[in-house]
Amino acid sequence: MRPSRNWLLLPLIFSLALASCDRDKNKTASTDKPKPLIGVSLLTLTNPFFKEMGDAMRAQGEKRGYEVVITSGEFDPAKQKDQVKDFLVRKASAIILTPCDSKSIGTAIIEANTAGVPVFTADIASIAPGAKVVCHAATDNYEGGKVAGRAMVELLNGKGKVAILDHPEVESVLMRTKGFGEEVAKAPGIQIVARLPGGGARDRSFAAAQDILQGHSDLDAIFAINDPSALGAIAAIEKAAKTGRIKVIGFDGQPEAKQAVKDGKMYATVLQHPQQIATATIEAIAKYMSGEQVPPQNLIPTALYRQADAQKDPALK
Amino acid sequence: MVHRTISHLLSNYGMAIVLLLLCIYYSWATLQKQELWPEEAADAVSRKVSGTEAKPLPLVVAGTSTNEANFVEFLRMKTWVGRIEHDPPSTRAALVQMIAAGNPPAVIVCSEESAKWLPSVLASIPTLANTPLITPGSYLWPTFLQKDNLLNVANQIVVIAVIAVGMTMVIITGGIDLSVGSLVALSAVVTGLLIRDHAGGAAAGTMALLVCSIAGILAAGLVGAFSGAMITFFRVPPFIATLGMMQVASGLAYIFSAGQSIYDIPQSFTALSRNGILILVIAYLVVHVIMSRTKLGRYIYAVGGNSEAARLSGVRVGAILMTVYIVSGMVAGLGGVILASQLKSSSPTYGQAYELYVIAAVVVGGASLSGGQGRILGTLIGALIMAVIQNGMNLTGVESYRQKVVLGLVILGAVLLDTLKKRPWKLPRWLHPVDSSKPIKESNAPIS
Repeated sequence: MRPSRNWLLLPLIFSLALASCDRDKNKTASTDKPKPLIGVSLLTLTNPFFKEMGDAMRAQGEKRGYEVVITSGEFDPAKQKDQVKDFLVRKASAIILTPCDSKSIGTAIIEANTAGVPVFTADIASIAPGAKVVCHAATDNYEGGKVAGRAMVELLNGKGKVAILDHPEVESVLMRTKGFGEEVAKAPGIQIVARLPGGGARDRSFAAAQDILQGHSDLDAIFAINDPSALGAIAAIEKAAKTGRIKVIGFDGQPEAKQAVKDGKMYATVLQHPQQIATATIEAIAKYMSGEQVPPQNLIPTALYRQADAQKDPALK
Repeated sequence: MVHRTISHLLSNYGMAIVLLLLCIYYSWATLQKQELWPEEAADAVSRKVSGTEAKPLPLVVAGTSTNEANFVEFLRMKTWVGRIEHDPPSTRAALVQMIAAGNPPAVIVCSEESAKWLPSVLASIPTLANTPLITPGSYLWPTFLQKDNLLNVANQIVVIAVIAVGMTMVIITGGIDLSVGSLVALSAVVTGLLIRDHAGGAAAGTMALLVCSIAGILAAGLVGAFSGAMITFFRVPPFIATLGMMQVASGLAYIFSAGQSIYDIPQSFTALSRNGILILVIAYLVVHVIMSRTKLGRYIYAVGGNSEAARLSGVRVGAILMTVYIVSGMVAGLGGVILASQLKSSSPTYGQAYELYVIAAVVVGGASLSGGQGRILGTLIGALIMAVIQNGMNLTGVESYRQKVVLGLVILGAVLLDTLKKRPWKLPRWLHPVDSSKPIKESNAPIS
């Protein structure tokens, strides 16, 4: 038998691990004056909203002389906790979180608190007891939900059947549906007939919306808690050949959703401003670092985006 | 001869060597200035302070972590200390107040932690631009090899590695268990609910916590037994049986918890996760002994190698399979309890896609998906490789999209290594060394 040559594979495997690191070698190896580090762990990077927010954080942070590392928990609170621990080992100056779970994030934040690293949250708040967060910057989701609710009442002239594509695991979504529910309740002719979880994702919302359409043939409108869910719902409505018959209101203001508003597939979306959230968070960090007082909460207002707005929007085709 | 020794070494310890190389690489890549131990730091600072004419006592600015608190304590023992401040806003307020009182600090001592933000605080107060700042100094050492980080790596892999114990046994029998991720969620939710509703929530005692945890583990074991029964009695392929149970278990976790996370869990419950490494070591030792020293272990290998031959030689194949799936379910349940303890809460969203990480760890550790082969300690190394790469990439700041690519390639590379280990592979023809004693035969064919 010939001697095996599998040792040739070792460099292969090893180089895989190295391949991705060459870029950062200089950064970490140069030791004389390291930039202060901001560690960011977002909910996910598969949703354009968070991607945009993360990119804006990096741009804003680097402009102010920080090194910004963006990671995401991808909906896994355990993974997010690991990322926080790694930031603590790297002696980050500050940590920005978009918690994967508003309650489970507590132990990670408490660890950062005991290590003396300030924690900031963006978009999703922590509601864990005992976990100290310096500043929370987010869309005013409760008010945004009310904006959506008022749009729904106006759209249906105060009468009709509505379904909600929900994602109740997340605090910010709870605020949206609360605001929405309160406004819609003012119009007694509007009935919320279904409330299914769509995971805040397009594929699961597509499936959930199909089920809603099956169950309620006389449905008038859907409120989707974010744009990916809304786009999933639109796909389901198109498939059922009910475009125009069933109206959709989304939440976020992502480019694809804006286009859908312009094309008339979607009635409206509630605009969030991820870049403003990012800016507010980085500003809060810079202020805190230079010793200024930072307000515990920074709510960014929303705006309704309808077809008339889309037609004026230069960014759309 | 040397060559043969090397290849023997590599085929037995290849993955251990990969792990070692990874550790060396990440040590080198994370070589950074580290803070001194609190006592040394206090020493260094007190020497520097006594060198200056500090007439009003120095202002000390330090963070709030244990290390920083120790630093301040040591400093108090060694030198005179004035006012102490802890965070940027209070430091700024203190400085402004001292200046207003006409008594600005002559010297400011900062710690490793406050050194990160103190300069920007001072920069915003012009009158303090020339105040001397005393820092403790530092030494060069890889961040990767810091005690805290090594504990991090170990703690991060505890859940995956514990589940991988059961998965290794399943894979050695030639099966697969896709339900482990959902079982993590199920057992975490069952444990959390029992603690909240029947053990008094945040006031639950140790004994009650233990009982609730065991109930969570048993619930997962029960689901494992169901998968095992489907596989043994109804000959449902393991892939399908456990795929079904994965959905069932996940759905049950959502139903039991009504889709909400449960957080009325006492602080004392986190003691379990602080001993995670101990649990890990015990689990691997016990199962290593079972697999290498007992009849049960031999039977498991025999069933995976050739179940018909095993049956004919008197092994009760059905009983072995049942055992293996129950154990797999129970260790997944244990993983769920540990996760709930780490996060001091439980939620049905836990454990998503864990089955894939676990299977990857087992395969990287050298077990063969076709059964009959694999070692428990190999799995431990596989899990550690995954953890080290993940941690190393986080430390060196690799973004998460690339992390996925690298992890995927590592799994492929490991399986490739495993396949090629079994058959000596030849170099492609054109790479063969030329035998110079023989002239190269010239071709008469016309070149078209």
